[in-house]
Amino acid sequence: MKTYILRRIAIAVLTLLGMSVVIFGLLRLAPGDIVDILFAAAGYVDAEQKQAILQELGMDRPYWVQYLEWLWQIVTGDLGKSYRYELPAWQLIKPLLPVTLELAGLAILISVLLGVPTGVISAVRQDSGLDYVLRMLSLAGLSMPSFWLAMVIILGCVAWLGWIPPVTYVGPTDNLRLHAVQFMLPALAVGYRSSALIMRITRSALLEVLREDYIRTALAKGQTARVVVWRHALRNAMLPVVTVIGIEFAFMIGGLVVTETVFNLPGVARFLVEAIQWRDYPMVQNLVMFIAIVVILSNLVVDVLYGVLDPRVRYGE
Amino acid sequence: MIRFQPLARVGSAVLALAATLAAGAPAEATKPGGVLTLTLREDLPQGFAVHETSTISTVWPSAPCLNNLVLFDPLKATESVDTVIGELAEKWSWQDGYRNLVFFLRKDVKWHDGKPFTSKDVKHTYDTVREAPDAPQKLRINPRNDWYANVEAVEAADAYTVIFRLKRPQPSLLLMLASGYSPVYAAHVPAASYRTGCVGTGPFKVKEWRKGEFLEYVRNPDYFVKGRPYLDGLKYVVIKEPGTRIAALRTGQVDVSFPNEVSKTNAEQLKAAVPKLVITPYSTNVNDNIIMNIKKPPFDNVKVRLAVSRGIDRRGVIQAVHQGGALVGAAMAPKPQGVWGLLESDLSAQPGYGKPADEKAKARKLLGEAGYSPQSPLKVEMVTRNIAIYVTMASFVISELKQIGIEATLKQIETAQWHATATRGDYQIGANLTGIGPDDPDANFYENFACGSPRNYSFYCNEQVMAQIHQQSQELDPKKRLAQVQAIQKKLEEEAARPLLDWRLDYFTVWPHVKNLLPHQSIYNFARMQEVWLDK
Repeated sequence: MKTYILRRIAIAVLTLLGMSVVIFGLLRLAPGDIVDILFAAAGYVDAEQKQAILQELGMDRPYWVQYLEWLWQIVTGDLGKSYRYELPAWQLIKPLLPVTLELAGLAILISVLLGVPTGVISAVRQDSGLDYVLRMLSLAGLSMPSFWLAMVIILGCVAWLGWIPPVTYVGPTDNLRLHAVQFMLPALAVGYRSSALIMRITRSALLEVLREDYIRTALAKGQTARVVVWRHALRNAMLPVVTVIGIEFAFMIGGLVVTETVFNLPGVARFLVEAIQWRDYPMVQNLVMFIAIVVILSNLVVDVLYGVLDPRVRYGE
Repeated sequence: MIRFQPLARVGSAVLALAATLAAGAPAEATKPGGVLTLTLREDLPQGFAVHETSTISTVWPSAPCLNNLVLFDPLKATESVDTVIGELAEKWSWQDGYRNLVFFLRKDVKWHDGKPFTSKDVKHTYDTVREAPDAPQKLRINPRNDWYANVEAVEAADAYTVIFRLKRPQPSLLLMLASGYSPVYAAHVPAASYRTGCVGTGPFKVKEWRKGEFLEYVRNPDYFVKGRPYLDGLKYVVIKEPGTRIAALRTGQVDVSFPNEVSKTNAEQLKAAVPKLVITPYSTNVNDNIIMNIKKPPFDNVKVRLAVSRGIDRRGVIQAVHQGGALVGAAMAPKPQGVWGLLESDLSAQPGYGKPADEKAKARKLLGEAGYSPQSPLKVEMVTRNIAIYVTMASFVISELKQIGIEATLKQIETAQWHATATRGDYQIGANLTGIGPDDPDANFYENFACGSPRNYSFYCNEQVMAQIHQQSQELDPKKRLAQVQAIQKKLEEEAARPLLDWRLDYFTVWPHVKNLLPHQSIYNFARMQEVWLDK
């Protein structure tokens, strides 16, 4: 396992290196740069002044110099300076991380708490009325994009309650109750869609396992259905479910853009969109790298969990 | 559904309200204390560096930290030379036939870091902005340098007296100095530092600016106007999603709408949902216009430009694009909200402002004279910024042009590239929005219609009009000047220099407990918050 993890980490570093080239290159392919945006806010353009700002920001240097400088900054832990705010990028990114991680964590928790039990019930009660209802709910969840659901929730709150969650971030130490209220609705909006996916995967994986000989044997030996399903079948059906949870968590980090925007939560995704609009290269590069790291890490965690969940899974030793 | 007053009467209502306030209507007893919560549609684009931007997103949240020499009276809705009041300047005096403008400064003003304010700060600011040869520093972006082209020198006669020496008389200078775009910077900190923080003299001091989230102010206890500000603080919350901004306003999480944010439709919905909200329609000094590249065919031909101008039904634009929430006007904001606009009778005689069917017939004739016909129609590419309010307007204009035989295709330009495209002239025809600082002919004409101005996107240049612009600029008799300004507007219409489609109205919305926050006829000039109080 140790060798496997080390090998995966080495591959992850190479993947991140490749990602860094893609991120750096794609950003520069987008039309305009921060200086164009600054002039857009001023309503005119002056070539001489533009050149001076490019020079001031170090953007007049060859791309490969800028790229290597960024890599060096990552290696040394100095993420550079935001073009827009003229502050160290890390200083700006640091407060965003807990917001996004908390929202994604809560959403995934909700999705697991909703998705796994309903998936199990649906599988155990296959083709019953309850199964159809749960499948219909899950289909609805898959059909509704989380951003749309987020907007509907806000509109519903305004129309029926004359209330929306706080639009200014409330920290857990400031007011825990209000903090929970602020995060619960966006987490539900995002978590519902993921729970639908988890429910469907749990159901199909469990249905497959329930048809295995060892399940029949366990039942024949007098084990109760509850023990058979929850202790034997579910554990063996969890591999694809864990895979989906890992992927969902990874995609959630980057995919929270609209939810964070609609609920006005100051997280990574919302900030990233604004940084892209401003062509704030250091911020975009570092935030996308952060998302890439989360994706790679969650994949790694999933792979390690395979071994924990299923002792038959062994990695090249 | 709530019924708003007809447009013609909207301005009168605002004026009446202003007049009532000015006349000293039974004043409510002010209550000190409380925190006013406001919204921002984006974080401060360049921090507090007002001299380096041209956007309300900077001016609106920065104003409480800063002061001008003079300011438009926050409690009077219609700005004019008569509503200019002293701020850092206790009094001022025009001398030598409006060639020298002398400011006598207050002696009790301190910067937020405790240093005293003196004439050195004023000289430092305006030498920097006008890029004087001996300017102590250079702004990295300087959009309003042209405003001070007529200033020959700024002299600090003593610690509390400043003289603006002009090359020729220019009464408008005072109005430009009263604009939200003209704060005084501290001489002892670099101009660049305003991009990240604010050392001001204003009624509020920055408490915290959490990037992308909010900007918080606290009352400046050393403010030079005793008893002001009334509020303990201000909080500007950044809410990027327009629907959430409106929801936050409707549910009372914020007290005030963002300027130029609430459309007529939004206003109707808000009023229906929360009848006690106070909604004030006002002209924003922001207009929709058509830019045509005069340097290139076919728009170097005045007949083609006039055909475009005549082909667009202004009232149709107002109904279709703004659901009635805009006013018809020429180059200056229309009366009664604007001071310099053409009268309705004059306006209807201008090309493009008559009956739509007649105008379109004349447009087709002009196109025919220019060599275009249904068999060989004029085909053009219309550019616009890739923002909904631009695209909606451009789409309507394209449909109008089709009716007179111009086939236009729409090309959306990325925001980052929009001004570069317009300034370089990499376009044929475009749908554009223009916001103007103060309602003043100099601020508008020199910026948008003067030969060589970087924001004269049409490249319109007429020496005769330039002479008229210079002439009105130094005219001291207000009546004569008004006549000259109106003559210029007619000439601009006759030559279709930059056809104006409409002047946008905003439906400024506040909760009833917000007092003394009165919108002016320019969105840039009523953000100081010094007089605002909460009746809670």
